[in-house]
Amino acid sequence: MPKIRIPSPLRTYTDGQAEVEVHGGTVAEALEGFMSQYPALRQHMFNGQGDLRPFVNLFLNNEDIRHLEGLDTSLQDNDRLMIVPSIAGGRGKDLPAVDHSALRTNQAFIIGLSILAFVFYAPWLAGLVAVAMAIGTILGVPGFGFIYKGLLKPRGWVRPDILHDNPEPHRFAQGLGVVFLAAGVLALFAGFPLLGWSLVWLVIALAALNLFVGFCAGCAVYYWLNRLRVPGFVKSPPDQTFPGMRPKAKA
Amino acid sequence: MTLEIPAGTMKKIHLQGEQAYPEEGAGLLLGKLDGDRKRVVSVVLLDNQREENARRNRYLLGPGDYLLGEEEASRLGLEVLGVFHSHPDHPNLPSDFDRDWAWPVFTYLITSVWSGKAGESRAWRLVEDRSGFAEEPVAIVDP
Repeated sequence: MPKIRIPSPLRTYTDGQAEVEVHGGTVAEALEGFMSQYPALRQHMFNGQGDLRPFVNLFLNNEDIRHLEGLDTSLQDNDRLMIVPSIAGGRGKDLPAVDHSALRTNQAFIIGLSILAFVFYAPWLAGLVAVAMAIGTILGVPGFGFIYKGLLKPRGWVRPDILHDNPEPHRFAQGLGVVFLAAGVLALFAGFPLLGWSLVWLVIALAALNLFVGFCAGCAVYYWLNRLRVPGFVKSPPDQTFPGMRPKAKA
Repeated sequence: MTLEIPAGTMKKIHLQGEQAYPEEGAGLLLGKLDGDRKRVVSVVLLDNQREENARRNRYLLGPGDYLLGEEEASRLGLEVLGVFHSHPDHPNLPSDFDRDWAWPVFTYLITSVWSGKAGESRAWRLVEDRSGFAEEPVAIVDP
């Protein structure tokens, strides 16, 4: 009977055996018999479509079956089929560098000016904040980022905090902020102060959550739409990062 | 299960990560599995087989590398316990790519190398349903 040689990571599934005898006239039949004997192995050897995973190599008497007839290669009684791992991995793609200090400066100004607008009952000031954020969203930068870039960073008052991150969800989050804030300002001018200030405070609260806790609610919405495969929301969260939370990887 | 590594062996792993920087370095962990102790005894330092422009964020050890490791392991009376690799300027957490390619049971020891200097190493093992990794504590032991 042909034999299959099992590499060390799979021996846990074969009761520690390094070699087992199999039945079958072809490699495919032998593997099928082997899988039905040790069903827990299947998900590690084959993907969801039933194809052999790319890191699983099969050698028949020291020859890669890819150079023979693949899974249709016929087996003789004394043949020895070896499962040989390829081992791969790596940190993956680098995300772009995003300066979170610019984002935080933006959040701080949104919070500060919006609170001033509320305290002095100045809907026009909240409107100005919405305009700055809208311009930023269109240009793909934080609306008040120019204060960081032109003043705080050059003077060394705020130090850069550059992280590997997706810029798109932050842009989307700011755009979402513009929608809420603009709706609030419109409500204020239209004579609905409760609704208007509630929307302004919602923007303040979400900006504060981002500034003080590091959770970007708009980014979480973006990643949620990404999970639902909504067209245009192509970026998934950085590795090992909860959707919306600030990533850990320094650039 | 705790992964026990002699200090000198860990040093070798860190040195290889530093020498490979800014590319990823990799190799195999050989050792013994007694009950719930996983002891690294030796390492096989290998060349990253990925094409040159991918080596900064990917590593590959081919079937020939694995067979070399298994041969060395049986010569020393050990077994291949897992793999180590470096993440240049990146946290020592497994990536989605690491998960897609992971073998079960194997220990994946990942070392961050920041600006050419090896940092901390952490060990991971694929969970049975392939949905992620579970951390294995690392204990540095005297040889």
